[in-house]
Amino acid sequence: MTATPHVHPPQEVPSDDPRVELDAATGAFEPIPPYPPRTERESEFYTLGDGEMFINMGPQHPSTHGVLRIVLKLDGENVVDLDPVLGYLHRGVEKLCENADYHHSIAYLDPLEYISSLFCEWPGVLAFEKLLDVEVPRRAEYIRVLATELNRILSHSMFIGWMALDLGGLTPILYSLIERDEIAEMLAALTGQRLLFNYLRIGGVNGDLNHEFLSRLGDWMSRATTQIESNLTLLNENEIFVRRMRGLGTLDKETAFRMAVTGPNLRASGVPLDFRRAHPYSVFPELEFDIPTRDEGDCLARYLVRIDEIKQSLRIIDQCLENMPDGPIMAKLPRLLRPRPGRAYAAVEGPRGQYSAYVISDGTDQPFRMRIHDPSFVHLQSVGVLMPGHLIADAMAVMASLDPIMGGVDK
Amino acid sequence: MALTGKPGAGLGVGPDDATAVGSDAPGNLPAALTLSQNAVSEPIVVGNSLWQSSDPLAYQGGLEPDVTHLREVEASGIARRDDARWSGVLEVIPTKADYVLDLIRANSLWPLLSGLACCAMEMMSSATSRNDMDRWGMFPFRASPRQADVLIVAGTLTTKMAGPLVRLWEQMPEPKWCVAMGDCTCSGGRYKRSYATIEGIDRVMPVDVYVPGCPPRPEGLIYGMMKLQQLVKDRRGHWPDRAVGPTVPEDV
Repeated sequence: MTATPHVHPPQEVPSDDPRVELDAATGAFEPIPPYPPRTERESEFYTLGDGEMFINMGPQHPSTHGVLRIVLKLDGENVVDLDPVLGYLHRGVEKLCENADYHHSIAYLDPLEYISSLFCEWPGVLAFEKLLDVEVPRRAEYIRVLATELNRILSHSMFIGWMALDLGGLTPILYSLIERDEIAEMLAALTGQRLLFNYLRIGGVNGDLNHEFLSRLGDWMSRATTQIESNLTLLNENEIFVRRMRGLGTLDKETAFRMAVTGPNLRASGVPLDFRRAHPYSVFPELEFDIPTRDEGDCLARYLVRIDEIKQSLRIIDQCLENMPDGPIMAKLPRLLRPRPGRAYAAVEGPRGQYSAYVISDGTDQPFRMRIHDPSFVHLQSVGVLMPGHLIADAMAVMASLDPIMGGVDK
Repeated sequence: MALTGKPGAGLGVGPDDATAVGSDAPGNLPAALTLSQNAVSEPIVVGNSLWQSSDPLAYQGGLEPDVTHLREVEASGIARRDDARWSGVLEVIPTKADYVLDLIRANSLWPLLSGLACCAMEMMSSATSRNDMDRWGMFPFRASPRQADVLIVAGTLTTKMAGPLVRLWEQMPEPKWCVAMGDCTCSGGRYKRSYATIEGIDRVMPVDVYVPGCPPRPEGLIYGMMKLQQLVKDRRGHWPDRAVGPTVPEDV
């Protein structure tokens, strides 16, 4: 863009007129940063080769799953290299948690990944419970598992819709949002909120199972399997979808380990690592479920693993409803929590991978340090390995198959 | 309206000798200029019962506009018989273009597809099957700001995103409206004490409708959009008077 100076006559436009500023380029969407390169990597990336060009994707882009900016270096339609620019949704959650007391910081945790809020609360709550040596009642544990598995189905059904949306199909997201809304209403009956549940408490859960939740759940469970499978025939029997996903963005086992991939993305590469089995927490040792894996490691495998996980989650929900014990839903705890000084770490298996929290307590009623580990952020780094070499349209499919949520990436 | 056959045929109000001749044909008087005995002599005045503005100053305070061709047109009789369009019954519609344009604008609000954070999920939910915003004409979510009318700011606005969001707002063509969805965009919400967020988007851009809630239910967003429709019809936005241009401080 050539810099043609727009000179406004001062007698016509007063200097405090905000419209004067309209002509000044703010540079917000310039792909090349305004500062000189700070690292070798930056100077290498921001030097264009022969026939290459930059394209700035985001921060407002429908298929970036939030506000992510990716500077793509393109050769024709092929992605040569990319540079993701993060921080457009950085809300300072960790610092806010350190300035809030232990109960209060749960409320800061669940907007992290807003379609799997319960999984963001859970590691924090588990870490606080480890600090406080609280024993959670068994009924509360079962309710936690029940609610989180519902949340996992919600998240995976949204993934299916988004995956198809980024490949250009608008219809499947309508069907997956039907599922999502049913589960959201169900969880709203249990927790009081449709999206940011804020349901788990230190030592239990916020409310007991109620009639509306159970009737909605029973109503949905009776037709969930057939309904989800009939929705999936839209995609699984779609020749275009399957052929396009097969062999796209293949992530082999070694690269997946090197990139610290966890969750369904890792299981799609053939590693049966599931924190519910590997480091059991809550009541998962008592529950029966399989760990679905695939060997291909491509986008189709990542998609199919999530579908299998939906079925396993339905199994777990069945068992939870069957074995739901009676009893209290909260442990006896003082209002003001002052855990002993120390450190605690807890990890749970979420719909995207390992959600974990690392808490340092200094004996006051506020965490001294709260470190939140989120799988979306970790998975986003493997985009840099997977995307180059693909076409732009396929690159978006690769990113959608990793299923990052920007709230968790930027915290 | 059927375009075949004689104009006005079968409707009982057109002249018998009217022919479907183009008005630019030489020697032919345009059909609209020939007076007929059967035509309604007085214009039918249709009262504006569709809406009333709650702002007494909207639409120039209900006064007659200074510059109008309505009376001249009425006196000349040109618009008396436009048989092809109005069947000879509605000869003059005494309204203003602003009323009609606002009605059109209010019933075709195209939001911008720009979700920032959590509330974007509920925005998607309100656009899809269960709560179908399209029923009130709020649907086609445009990915480009050039094609959008409404900016629904759904989610926490951080300081880093403030510049791009204001840029999006500036790229939208007038008339445009802004809906602040969620507590974060109304006042800062649960991130009010954060070092990285903007406490309410009305610090950086004008807001027409605030929809509180963390997040609001889809019904809440639809209610807010219906309020916006009423606001558009009421002409309470006064968009020519609104400050345009970047209102973000330099250090954001």
